[in-house]
Amino acid sequence: MTASTVTDLPPDSASPPAKPERIDGRHLRSERTKRLIIEAYMALVRESSPRVPTAAEIAERAGYSVRSIFERFPDLQALRLAATDQAIADARATNAPRDLPADRATRLRAQVEIRGRGCDQWLPMWRVLNSNSADSAELQERIRMTRSLILRRIELVFKPELSTLPDAERSRTVLAIEALTDFESWARMREFFGLSFDEACAAWVRAIDSLLPPTPAGAS
Amino acid sequence: MSMPTETHSLDGRRMRSERTRQRIVEAYLSLLGETGQMPTANQIAERAGCSVRSIFERFTDLHALRVVVTDSAFAEANAQAVLRDVDADRPTRLQSQVRTRAQTCERWLPMWRALNANQGESEELKTRIRQARDMIVRRLELMYRPELAALAEDERRKVLLALEAITDFESWARMREHFGLSVEDAINLWIRTIDGLLPQAPVS
Repeated sequence: MTASTVTDLPPDSASPPAKPERIDGRHLRSERTKRLIIEAYMALVRESSPRVPTAAEIAERAGYSVRSIFERFPDLQALRLAATDQAIADARATNAPRDLPADRATRLRAQVEIRGRGCDQWLPMWRVLNSNSADSAELQERIRMTRSLILRRIELVFKPELSTLPDAERSRTVLAIEALTDFESWARMREFFGLSFDEACAAWVRAIDSLLPPTPAGAS
Repeated sequence: MSMPTETHSLDGRRMRSERTRQRIVEAYLSLLGETGQMPTANQIAERAGCSVRSIFERFTDLHALRVVVTDSAFAEANAQAVLRDVDADRPTRLQSQVRTRAQTCERWLPMWRALNANQGESEELKTRIRQARDMIVRRLELMYRPELAALAEDERRKVLLALEAITDFESWARMREHFGLSVEDAINLWIRTIDGLLPQAPVS
């Protein structure tokens, strides 16, 4: 029995359920290894996107053998999928909408800053996801899911303004804001046109403001 | 007295070699358009009706071929996207610019994607991407000069960046592939969006 399984036992257990505890310990360690492999993959993607890291590179960064990777993931595509799910979960947790009942200017600023930070943080993963999705229905589904989340966020944050538009017009406005605030649009402002974070935010704020209809009286 | 015949035969060889080179470039472009993937030397040779050796007699490697194909595609795209209606009224300019851009996106999206995905460390391909983006921005400046002239420098830059983002290849691709819009619906969305982003031109 390893140290971790012993210390996990309750102190007053006369006949502890040794087998399940051992399995739990192993399971925990295996989960931890899995998480470290995913983190290593994500760190390498951030450094070398859009190039996909190899199994040997991931193993070296995580401090495990290549075999350890393939004991936990049947292939690199499965690892890519797990990392994508982890990234989506992390992004949802850290980029929750804020200032929702605020005035238009505050909502605009908050939405743009959150989206800009999200783009700065997740652009490398997004690029790898897109460049490797051609032969994976699961990765394509993640791309669709992410885009749907972005659309829902736009609808939520700008609900007062969008609610004044007829359906077709509302859809067009949401799609235009989505196109404008895409990952690659952000990347071009930052990498190609050399804008600072604040300058890029200001460009988006101005553009979204001119695409939205006036805020109805009485709405935040 | 054999000189004219030799010259004639040299010219003939050069012309045949040039034709093969052109067929290789066209084969590369058509394969890329069909699959969205960078073709292999074998695929290119088979499509062009020549040997793999013929490819590498004319191009030092596949990267050199890629650069030539990119230049050829840009030249063709520029010839197709002639600027029209520059001095027309706002609705005409909007229609003209958006339709031309839509046509370019529809035709050249696979090439653009492959170029971006495979630029790697190639300075030559990075330069082509920069040139293409510069040209897109310059066209926008030219087509919407009356409206942009009404803005202060900082504002003008912001509007240009927004116009560039909206009319990007991938923005077009999302409307068509992800949101399932028809060409006409996508064009109308762009027109409406650009119209919303531009200020009113000063009355002359």
